[in-house]
Amino acid sequence: MASGIQIRQMTKRFGDLVAVNAVDLDIDDGEVLCLLGPSGCGKTTTLRMVAGLEDVSEGEICIDGNRVNDISTPERNVAMAFQFYALYPSITVAENLSYPLHAEQISRAEIKARIASVADKLDLTEVLNRYPSQLAEGEKQRVAVGRAIIRKPSCFLFDEPLSRLDIELRQQMRTKVKEVLAGLSKPTVIVTHDQIEALTMADRIAVMRDGKIEQVATPHDIFAAPSNTFVAGFIGTPGMNLIPSVIEGVSERGELKLNIDGQHVVVDVNAGAMNLPVGAKVTLGVRPRFFETVAESSETTLSGKVDIIEPMGAETLFHVLDGTRELRVVMDRTVRFKEGETIHLEFQPKLTHVFDAQGSLVQ
Amino acid sequence: MTTLNSNATEQQSPTFGFWVWLMAPERRGALLITPAIVLLFAMNILPLMWSFGLSFFRYRANRLNPPEFLGWDNMFRNYEKVTSSSAIWDSFQTTAIIVAGSVTLQVIIGFLLALMFAREFPFRKILLSMVLTPMMLSFVAVGVFFKFFYEPSFGLLSQAIRVFTGEPYILLGTKWGSIWGIIIADAWMWSPFVMLLVLAGLVSVPKYLYEAADIDRASWFRRFRTITFPYIKSLLLLAVLFRTIETFKLFDLVYIITEGGPGSATETLSVYVYRQGFQYFRTSDASALGYILLFVVIVLTNLYLYVVNRRSEEL
Amino acid sequence: MRFFRKKQGIGKAGAGWSLFAGVVSLIYFFPVLWIILTAFKTRTDTLSIPPKFIFTPTFDNFIAVFYRSAASSQDAASTGFELYFFNSIFIAGTSVILALIIGTLASYGFSRHPLRGNDTYLFVILTTRMLPPIIAIIPIFLMFRLSGLSGTYIGIILLYTAFNLPFSIWMIKSFFDEISTDVEDAARMDGSRDRGVFFKICLPQVKAGLAATAVFALILTWNEFLFALLLTGTDTRTVPVQMARTLGGEIGVDWGLLAAIVTIFLIPVFAVTYMLQNHLLRGVTFGTVKK
Repeated sequence: MASGIQIRQMTKRFGDLVAVNAVDLDIDDGEVLCLLGPSGCGKTTTLRMVAGLEDVSEGEICIDGNRVNDISTPERNVAMAFQFYALYPSITVAENLSYPLHAEQISRAEIKARIASVADKLDLTEVLNRYPSQLAEGEKQRVAVGRAIIRKPSCFLFDEPLSRLDIELRQQMRTKVKEVLAGLSKPTVIVTHDQIEALTMADRIAVMRDGKIEQVATPHDIFAAPSNTFVAGFIGTPGMNLIPSVIEGVSERGELKLNIDGQHVVVDVNAGAMNLPVGAKVTLGVRPRFFETVAESSETTLSGKVDIIEPMGAETLFHVLDGTRELRVVMDRTVRFKEGETIHLEFQPKLTHVFDAQGSLVQ
Repeated sequence: MTTLNSNATEQQSPTFGFWVWLMAPERRGALLITPAIVLLFAMNILPLMWSFGLSFFRYRANRLNPPEFLGWDNMFRNYEKVTSSSAIWDSFQTTAIIVAGSVTLQVIIGFLLALMFAREFPFRKILLSMVLTPMMLSFVAVGVFFKFFYEPSFGLLSQAIRVFTGEPYILLGTKWGSIWGIIIADAWMWSPFVMLLVLAGLVSVPKYLYEAADIDRASWFRRFRTITFPYIKSLLLLAVLFRTIETFKLFDLVYIITEGGPGSATETLSVYVYRQGFQYFRTSDASALGYILLFVVIVLTNLYLYVVNRRSEEL
Repeated sequence: MRFFRKKQGIGKAGAGWSLFAGVVSLIYFFPVLWIILTAFKTRTDTLSIPPKFIFTPTFDNFIAVFYRSAASSQDAASTGFELYFFNSIFIAGTSVILALIIGTLASYGFSRHPLRGNDTYLFVILTTRMLPPIIAIIPIFLMFRLSGLSGTYIGIILLYTAFNLPFSIWMIKSFFDEISTDVEDAARMDGSRDRGVFFKICLPQVKAGLAATAVFALILTWNEFLFALLLTGTDTRTVPVQMARTLGGEIGVDWGLLAAIVTIFLIPVFAVTYMLQNHLLRGVTFGTVKK
């Protein structure tokens, strides 16, 4: 019998609107998958369909090898933590935590033991007798997580679990939740719009846009090899520079000769790009941290004028104007440029991506 | 700049010293409520004080004799007289039975109706208006409806019962029949009120709580107890208190349907006071009795406002 | 496990639920329908056993509301009913306008310039409305008799204004309390005087609330019976009193006529119920419960 969650060609329509478009996903037991995307991209709808809170328009969902399309939410036996926590306001934290256990045939002693263990894991022991309205935001969030992990469900679903916390709390909770997730032996799906959350907590990330999955990969791969310009621009802060350019040929050393807004630059990229025809329009993807500055302009450099300088602590973000376009360049804080100064940027070998005219990564 | 200008214009018209005094900002609140207070004093407080005074006098409004003070040593005689009469206790009992019966029915019917309307469906608004109409009607109109229903020969109730018994049925001929007749009419009229409050509670439950209960596989009963009920309980309590106060004062419906009869079987407190005051013209007795009623209503109103305030703190 | 499917709370339901709710609502509404049907029946149809649901409608009852013995059209004397209708509308209308003006001022005062003992005032005001009318009516009856206000328009209008005032104050105050004072403060900063703030900024924001309050007060006054019974004379009698008198007629009750009166009386009420649905909750609880 298959285990985990399999999603095949799952589609959701609201009238004419296609909220989720032919999504395929596999999540194994014990794996944490993050659905990442801008708001309105269909990630929450996807999660709700897995939970059975929304009907599936087309396609199918299997949990533990059973097709669950026509099985109601309670019978799917999924655990879920809601974005707004959905704590029951009239009962205490302990009762909230044990709420899902009443549907199972468990002895009182066992319930008590489970509450104690979850409370211990999530530092909730102190607040067990309080009501949700008396809790701090971080505590509410932990109760919501606790109510999900107290069960032995077929899968765990988290809808924007950390989105309502302030930045500091979010960092603490990220570590805490990751720790908790590591101990789960069932498939886990987390919906988030925060890439840091996805990158830190996920085993794999699925980036969604307009109801479609753009790429599914490990946090490392998704950062190192974004499959298209959307993923490339979405992952990483500050965002990747996407520079439209035209191929002019290949140099003797096997480097790509490009025309970037009138500047002729030679760039060392992967071999796949060498097969593109001369005159092809491509987009060059360079992360802000993967530039180097050199003193003199040469055939391998791109020149631009420093426009705005934003110190970020350990590093400094420079907005560099190259003709009409703005490039984001991050340098160590020891690097000092003045506003208006012209600088020459060199692309670090092999860390520059080439996307074709359709926006797909050229391998 | 503008502020300075407006100050200047105010200072230009110091002709009427009284006007300036009256319009001073610190008198604004008092000034605004004065017309209301004056009118209420003239039309409500003053009459009440008058009747409070009368309750210590001997007075019949249909005689020419002026009110005669009962004397300091037995000034509470009217109160003693009313409280010791068995008729008032019978009437108190009748009122209590009608209040209990009607409010219970209102809660049950209102609750079920609210459950029915607590979702979106085609034609909901027009159907809701139909169900809400009774509450907006005049007591007299509702009295007419039910008197017509209870009519012994061609009234629908009598005819329906005749199908089974072959005899016309005179509901208003017996004590309990009359009491039930009034309870049903009042409950019909005011169940929509309870429905409206319960509905407000039901609608205020966030949908995600029910979704969470779905996820947590909560039973129907558990859902109701931990999610639905907490959201409607304070509104339900308000509805019960409000309806208790209102039904306690019930007059028009009884006056139209049974006129307190048969005999004095459906004489509620209000009808009793009406009869004392306007049929037998025992004006001072009726005033004393009125004050006892007033006390009960003030206590209930206080309780009602306490719940209102507690609820607004919860929200 | 099946019943897990059933969703509670606000959810969508289909045509099936409409049908169910339609049947229940019709049953609930039946007494009203029955009276309306009766209004269109002839005397024989009204008194028929078993009851008639299908019959040839007639407007005789409606004509009879206004003209005595419509059959002999020669001397179709007026029943005076148009006077009672006029009285109901005039008395209710005037007293509601008065109550609204006085009530708006007072509730603005209570809301924006609270006095010491604000809550006590409000409590006393609500109590005057909550107290059984039968208590107030005895001394008011004496007072009116003494001052000659009995049976006059001015007397009953003043009384109804006072009767509507607590309701108006509580209702309108609940609307004032809801609007943010930021805009008012900003206007004051910009040099507006209190009068300007009140008329230009506050009032426009509670317009809908004022309308709702007015309509509610109209209905309440329109329906009032006890005060009208004891304090109006032949010239100032209102419709509910006339209905009760028709009911207590000496020569048996003319149900068709009564049903026609009730039907005419009912139309504005139903229209208002439909229009005011969103304000109904606040209206029936005197503004103490908003949602």
